[in-house]
Amino acid sequence: MLRFATLLLAAVVATVAPADTLDQAQQSGTITLAVANEIPYGYLSAEGEPRGEAPAIALQTLKALGIDRVEVLVTEFGALIPGLKAGRFDVIAAGMYITPKRCRQILFSNPTYRIGEGFLVPSGNPHALHGYADIKDKPALKLGVMAGAVEFGYARDFGIPLDRVVTLPDYPSGVAALKTGRIDALAGTVLTMAELGRKERAVELAQPFTKLVIDGKPVDGYGGFGFRPGDERLRDAFNAQLAGFIGSADHLALVEPYGFGRHTLPGAVSAAQLCQP
Amino acid sequence: MPLETLIRGLLDGALTTVAVLLLALPLATTLAFTAGLMRLSRYPPLRWLAVVYVEFFRGTSALIQLYWIYFVLPFFGLRIEALSAGVLALGLNIGAYGAEVVRGAVLAVERGQTEAAIALNFSPRQRLWRILMPQALVAMMPPFGNLAIELLKATALVSLITIADLTYRAKSLADMTLQVEQIFGLVLLFYFVMAQLLALATRALERRLGRNMERGGLS
Repeated sequence: MLRFATLLLAAVVATVAPADTLDQAQQSGTITLAVANEIPYGYLSAEGEPRGEAPAIALQTLKALGIDRVEVLVTEFGALIPGLKAGRFDVIAAGMYITPKRCRQILFSNPTYRIGEGFLVPSGNPHALHGYADIKDKPALKLGVMAGAVEFGYARDFGIPLDRVVTLPDYPSGVAALKTGRIDALAGTVLTMAELGRKERAVELAQPFTKLVIDGKPVDGYGGFGFRPGDERLRDAFNAQLAGFIGSADHLALVEPYGFGRHTLPGAVSAAQLCQP
Repeated sequence: MPLETLIRGLLDGALTTVAVLLLALPLATTLAFTAGLMRLSRYPPLRWLAVVYVEFFRGTSALIQLYWIYFVLPFFGLRIEALSAGVLALGLNIGAYGAEVVRGAVLAVERGQTEAAIALNFSPRQRLWRILMPQALVAMMPPFGNLAIELLKATALVSLITIADLTYRAKSLADMTLQVEQIFGLVLLFYFVMAQLLALATRALERRLGRNMERGGLS
């Protein structure tokens, strides 16, 4: 009687226990990614096709894992982690920086790129802004940052008073705010800012740009793929694929159209190291 | 990007907006009548249930309700698909406001009607459905029209939970092209046209229900 009950319980648990995402994806051949429409990291083209460094690498990696059908959802940057944790999608492919704070919430693959910061300023750079120090030193100026992005923390840690930091929901709002004078500079990765400067004549990438240094340490962003806690096997499968791929000629050929290259290779840095506070 | 391409891109989104609206409107109407009439019930438990529903969904913001259904419910084991989550949140929210409209309109029918119906031996159910409701319906139309237009504008919130409606498309195109002045101008126009169509429909309904007002709107 007891043996029967135990077997029954085991059977119930086995059927109810959720298969992990890697198994589900490999069995069904489909998986869902999320991007935040940040060019060139992860976005949808006008026709709805996934584009950008992260989706490009993800599609290749997933294909190698036997997952061919990939659905891509767009959400605001700040909603990527909540959406992942709520099971709305399975992988964050938005080029999200690996930071200790985010590591407490989700798992990350090893980084696929390294990038520095940049400012977008009105054409002609009227306030001659070439770094975070210039914003800090001129008390009338306002810095725009994107909601949920690291630049808010950078501004705070660098010592810029928070009442001079304006949070915006997305980059087009940031560009609009810059054009109308609500902010004097928009902060983001140098690639994102360069892309925006190319598309809109009224704004440009601030050059030269002094590398951001906080507490004596130069700040670089390392971006990778995000996974739900519990999907360690999926993350490990990704890492296994990335180990052989990142830095290879195929990788560079894939991401060069987006502005990446040898200069954005992450080097031998692992997610575990980046997650250390 | 030329204007025509922008318009075509936005049109796709407008169709999704209309779809969300057409799904949420019946839900909101059903909830409005159910909760409104429950509040007028003789039985306290029904009244209290309606009060809780109305006050909760009126008293909290639609955006947070939407986020809650989309992001938080999965942790309680309830993963509702994005479109259903959007329609549900919008229906519940606007339905709560609608319930007060229904209740107010029924209560506003002049007392003489109720007294005459009682004197003529109408049962409470007959009183409600044959005498009070036809008259109340006409009075409900203008505020319902308001709520329908509010629902239309509230559908923009579903863009935040990955549904490709008009607002989502607008932001997408803005991300790609940065032509914000043109895009958002077009979006305003689209919503305005849709709202006007809703207003026309409501006015037509008002006229239809108000015909032969002496004998009641449903006859």
